[in-house]
Amino acid sequence: MSSRSVISAVALFSAGLLAAAEPLTKEQMKSAVLSESVTIPSPGEFFSAMDEQGQPNWTQMYAPKSAGTTASREQMALMLGVLVADGYIAVEAQDGQGVKNTGKDIINLAKKLNVSQSVISRGNSINDFAENNDWSALREELEATQNEVKLSMAEQKDKDLVILVTVGAWIRGTQVASEFVSKNYSPGLAGLLRQPAIVEYLLAELGKLPDRMQKQPLVAEVEQKLRDILNLVFTKDRTPPAPDAVKDVSATMNSLVNDIAKGNKES
Amino acid sequence: MKTFGILFLSICIVSAQETPDSRERGTSRSKVLELAGAFANDGYKIRDGYWSGVLEPGKPQILEVNLFQGNAYWFCAAALAPARKLSVTLFDENGRPVEGEVFQDGSTAAAGLLPDASGRYFVRLELAEGDKAEFCLIYSYK
Repeated sequence: MSSRSVISAVALFSAGLLAAAEPLTKEQMKSAVLSESVTIPSPGEFFSAMDEQGQPNWTQMYAPKSAGTTASREQMALMLGVLVADGYIAVEAQDGQGVKNTGKDIINLAKKLNVSQSVISRGNSINDFAENNDWSALREELEATQNEVKLSMAEQKDKDLVILVTVGAWIRGTQVASEFVSKNYSPGLAGLLRQPAIVEYLLAELGKLPDRMQKQPLVAEVEQKLRDILNLVFTKDRTPPAPDAVKDVSATMNSLVNDIAKGNKES
Repeated sequence: MKTFGILFLSICIVSAQETPDSRERGTSRSKVLELAGAFANDGYKIRDGYWSGVLEPGKPQILEVNLFQGNAYWFCAAALAPARKLSVTLFDENGRPVEGEVFQDGSTAAAGLLPDASGRYFVRLELAEGDKAEFCLIYSYK
């Protein structure tokens, strides 16, 4: 590298540190792009922040739900999301066998939803990375698998199911986090649950589902409970949710995950 | 801050390895992944998702993201020719610019942040020099 490019880069770097940008206008904020694959954090990102704020015992927290028997594609899509979050929990717990088991469950459920062969081959990669305890690669592989499932769904005209996978993963991640925070309350940890923008986004997307889907009992329950959660996690001035609110979030998320995993929730 | 300094040097090396010819090859995504690779070497995990589109002079693009206190983030962007200079700026949920680290080298740029609160943030991507071009933005965290 030439000394000139270093100096030039250092100058730009320093200028960036000092530069003060004009604030965004309300119109600019309102017109901001929402792109699901970057606007919604992955469960891994959520769990990484939990690691920084507390010392979760991920081994204890890895208690995967098995998917109940159901013919409802909506319920399967929600469960797929739950399983993806379980995969991240197993990675945090550095439980290789757990990752493999969850990876297998993800692929089995994805097959029922007729996803493409490319998704199924992801299962082999998950196994290989788990075999080698490559936790970092596993985090990336889980997210890539989730994105490929969504892409495959969209290609098969199952686009409406995509948001349900995202919702399922968010619900499971929030369940685990809220349970931990309610038992180990601190303002820093509770602040992680303050995610009104995410809940608003998920509700807006659920609101775009066809009427027949929105009327299904499980989807309607998810929507109603997300509305309840929004009231609990929306706090002014970035203050973290209070201990009672965290307990309520935890109870709501527990009941939702149980209902998603329950078989034959009438659709 | 020390970590950011080491990362900055890594980015300089990555950038220096690019030649004008190599910059023209591939897509804006491959170009931005190259930049983000410097952060991955320091333990940052790159999100699989990305945001792409077309950037025009005088028409910044703004993306909404949700970040967690406790994590460190780098938002990396790259554009293809004829873009010549990009900038990435981060704002909090009230639209106020947030302090952080920035990197800028021609049509690649990045902004780093340690959020002081969890919640909604905005990423503004601007074409400072050059003409309408395809861009790609990704982010990494640790």
